[in-house]
Amino acid sequence: MADSPEDIRKKTKLYLLIGGVLFLGTILTYLVATREWLDFGKHGFDTVDCLIGFTIASVKATLVAAIFMHLNHEKKAVYWIFFGSFATAASLAGLTALAYFSPIHDKFFPNAKAGYVGQHD
Amino acid sequence: MEIPYVYTPRKDTGLVNSKIAIWLFLASEVMLFGGFFSAYVFLRIGADYPWPERALPVIPGLVNTFVLIASSVTVVFAWASLKLRQWRRFQFFMAFTIACAGIFMVLKGVEYYVKFNHQALRMPDGAIVEGHLGKELKPGVNPHGEIKPEDYVLDRKGSQIEENRIFVEADAVTFNTVRFEKGWAKDILDEAKEHNAHITLKDDLKLFTKTGWKPEDQPPIAKIGDKELKAGTELTLDLLEQIKSLYLDARAHNAKVRTEALRDAWTEAKKSHPQESDWEYSDKVDIDPARLVGTILTEVPEATFKIEPAVKLEFKPLDIKAGATQSQLRDGTKIDGRLEESPMVFHYVDALDFRYLAMKAKEKGQDPMALIESSWVITHSPELKEAWEWHKGQIKLLEERLIKDYGFEKDKAGKDTTTPKREPTFTERYRIEWKDFAAKSEGKPRTEREDMPTFVEQIRGPNYEEREKTKSFPSLEVPREQVQFASKFAPAWSTYYAIYFTMTGLHGLHVIGGALVLSYYLFFGRKMYLTNPEWLANRVEVGGLFWHFVDLVWIFLFPLLYLM
Repeated sequence: MADSPEDIRKKTKLYLLIGGVLFLGTILTYLVATREWLDFGKHGFDTVDCLIGFTIASVKATLVAAIFMHLNHEKKAVYWIFFGSFATAASLAGLTALAYFSPIHDKFFPNAKAGYVGQHD
Repeated sequence: MEIPYVYTPRKDTGLVNSKIAIWLFLASEVMLFGGFFSAYVFLRIGADYPWPERALPVIPGLVNTFVLIASSVTVVFAWASLKLRQWRRFQFFMAFTIACAGIFMVLKGVEYYVKFNHQALRMPDGAIVEGHLGKELKPGVNPHGEIKPEDYVLDRKGSQIEENRIFVEADAVTFNTVRFEKGWAKDILDEAKEHNAHITLKDDLKLFTKTGWKPEDQPPIAKIGDKELKAGTELTLDLLEQIKSLYLDARAHNAKVRTEALRDAWTEAKKSHPQESDWEYSDKVDIDPARLVGTILTEVPEATFKIEPAVKLEFKPLDIKAGATQSQLRDGTKIDGRLEESPMVFHYVDALDFRYLAMKAKEKGQDPMALIESSWVITHSPELKEAWEWHKGQIKLLEERLIKDYGFEKDKAGKDTTTPKREPTFTERYRIEWKDFAAKSEGKPRTEREDMPTFVEQIRGPNYEEREKTKSFPSLEVPREQVQFASKFAPAWSTYYAIYFTMTGLHGLHVIGGALVLSYYLFFGRKMYLTNPEWLANRVEVGGLFWHFVDLVWIFLFPLLYLM
């Protein structure tokens, strides 16, 4: 394998550190969601809170993927496989969004609100 | 034969085969969960009704997140121990990982159990009541006093009966001879016996059971062995089975006769239209009705029985489509009789949700508050009206506090407009939760509602028996007409719950699967460790990669479903 015993001994401290960061990140997510003094934007859950929540989650996910899953020193083949799947999933969601946010010009649906499939005033 | 394996890297990819394989599998998992995540996003954005925000208790999800993160750390340490050839440490860390998986599933099980036992009801005016249904008690027992296990009425299977049943004063029952549910028929028989009522055939069962009858003949009374099926024959399960076999035999016979007749009709048609293809004369082909006389047997799809005297039967609301004079069960059985008072009794109401009502009011241009105050639940329950008034007062205080702390929006000139920078959310205004009921009954303001539940209550919901002392949760008897849609907190209740159970359930299955694989390495890895430790380390690494992925999914699932 790529990792030798000496490498692994050094990595142990790093794994513990990253574990601690993940714990703190979870606590931070919980505090941002429940404490008013960390509520940015409008009162209650709004787009700003959504972005903050997902940013923290993405940072945690990146740490897990890069360090626990050894993605920081993986071969190109793995990068193509794994991130290719994200790209594929995102394209499918993107295609749905394209259709979702297109207005319906069909007169058979007179109440269909332009911009959202299925919604009407 | 041993399956060939390679645990040295290949020259073309630079990787071991198992690594490529697991990453390919994880790519497919990304597609799977990605599909569900994007479906959730679209459903939430596109919902034209109030989306349940922060509907789930956060603490179980939070504890589960810590548990999974810890297990992720220990699975890496397990792999590292194997690489360093430390068997005992590997065992310890792997066991810890699997224990974390177990804790996760136990907490998830508790969450699901609490949800499946919690009742929700939507009324025709749009108000939503949530809580726990009462269980039927023996007459004379005080529902709000001390209740012992023997005070409950039990059904035939020995379980407690929820106070949500449909009562019909039945004087006749018509069974669908093929689809009837034996269990339900038995229940009706038992109930009648208990009340000393008799269930007997309403009319003589007259069927042609043999061929050779003439059009002017009357069908004779059907016989099973020597017994004639006359009006007044006592109903038994065997009798129903026998009528079913009569029907099925007749149907099979008739099918054969009709097929023969149709075949002959086609042959005739072909002879009289020699030049045409079959689809050209197909509309002229039909069975000659005269042929069927004397060869067709009578089919008996339904059998009607009288119940004397009328007996009060009870059914679960899901099993019956009730009508004022005739109701139908899901197996096709028709019950004739008057629909009795069939209320849905909430022993504890722990949430009131007027958001849907308020949304409808705003759509129609009406005042939401006026519509809420004229809703059935506010006009018929003094305790809930009081709770609503208290809640209104608390939200007013919240509004004033937000204006005091954050001020108003400024216009272009820098002066204050009348729009406050922060206002109570739609959910805060129109939804009363169990913590609000609890705070009110303890005389505390709404701002202290997060401080009074115990840790166990944060996970399992309120301790109803304990809070009975402070009369936190009022009871409510809802007449059947006010039940538009009722369900437990299950996928049926709303799109949000459907997707919540789907995603967390699928994720939970992945946790179980991953734990099984890791258990295999823990319990059966010793032999491999002694003969080929590098190969075991490789396998544990690959298993650990799957485990990390499961953790990754949860890292996104927790904020998405619990916090947003």
